[in-house]
Amino acid sequence: MIAVLALLAGVVLGLYLDPTVPAALQPYLPIAVVAALDAVFGGVRAKLDRIFDDKQFVVSFISNVLVAGLIVYLGDQLGVGGQLSTGVVVVLGVRIFGNVAAIRRHLFRA
Amino acid sequence: MSDSGSGRGRRDRTYAPDFLTELFRNPLDPGYEDAARSRVAGAPVWPARSVSAVVLVVVGFLLAVAYRQTVAEEPGRAQARAGLVQQIREREEESDRLSERADALRDEVGRLRVQALGGSEAARLRELEAGTGVGRVRGDGVVVRLADARDDQDAVTGAADGGAGPDRVIYSDLQRVANALWGAGAEAVSINGQRLTATSTIRSAGDAILVDFRPVTGPYEVSAIGPGEMRQRFEGSAASALMRQVASKTGLSFGVRVAKDLTLPAAAEPRLRWAGPPVDPSPSGSSESSGSRTSPSPSGGGR
Repeated sequence: MIAVLALLAGVVLGLYLDPTVPAALQPYLPIAVVAALDAVFGGVRAKLDRIFDDKQFVVSFISNVLVAGLIVYLGDQLGVGGQLSTGVVVVLGVRIFGNVAAIRRHLFRA
Repeated sequence: MSDSGSGRGRRDRTYAPDFLTELFRNPLDPGYEDAARSRVAGAPVWPARSVSAVVLVVVGFLLAVAYRQTVAEEPGRAQARAGLVQQIREREEESDRLSERADALRDEVGRLRVQALGGSEAARLRELEAGTGVGRVRGDGVVVRLADARDDQDAVTGAADGGAGPDRVIYSDLQRVANALWGAGAEAVSINGQRLTATSTIRSAGDAILVDFRPVTGPYEVSAIGPGEMRQRFEGSAASALMRQVASKTGLSFGVRVAKDLTLPAAAEPRLRWAGPPVDPSPSGSSESSGSRTSPSPSGGGR
């Protein structure tokens, strides 16, 4: 319950403050969003599995976002363009998909 | 919980060599299980519950910012495109309007001139205008059609005629045809609706053919108004023979047909060129350089 409220508060805050993203950080935004979604869905699944852990959640969120951003940066510097970020999106996408499937099994028993 | 969870509980947290299979089988961070196990074992629970809430606030913030960013970027692209399309439409309308107005004004000038001049003078003027290409003319004549060869025959081999075969109509073809038509007695000639006058140019710029500095594209139709025997004379000309040979060798198409009641448009208003002594100290003529007042300075740039 607190989690949902916190999420909503963040959304409201973001819409209300409407910050401008620096141009240098713009390429990292989509990847950061995907990484954050992975952390959130992982947390929800862990909650439903009754093994949720705050520390694990916080650390996984921060490290996911940082590593994803780092990989995109590395791809830019190496000149492989968006291909490394494609890799990040694939891995995180698979994880999100699997976790959502597990959440679905929990909620609907199907 | 998936079936693999119980199997891997015993193992230490090491990544399987087949990372992708592991990823598909068990997408949850293994850390959660470790944490649950250590909690059962009685390890101290991380106290900061509120840190999770803060992280979730950050996640929500991130989502909102990303949403805003995406929404803000989209209209920029669409607007630029829509703006360009809009501009093109406006300019086209304006150009249509202006050309209509030019036609109307030209008609009015013609009418007023007929009124001002006598009947015979006006008729003579009309004759001259028709001859020089300034006036619109109508009559019977021939249409010579030239078209580029289809490039399907050299799509595979790269080149049909040893690579250098001219399978496109080039500017000199049009020049030759136009000159042959004039030679065959044409009174008025136009290329793709572009009237030729005594000062018209047919040139090439890169791949494009320019008639009077305006690009024309294939298929090219050279229309000419002239006497009835113009077609026979044109067919007998060297240019026609050459073009027929070129057409039979390459895939170029070349055809001559008699056309009834052709209407050839007027050429663009010719730039008048004149000379006169400059009157003011700083004349607008661009050729004024040495300050020789009395010498006539050509203005209007040589064409």
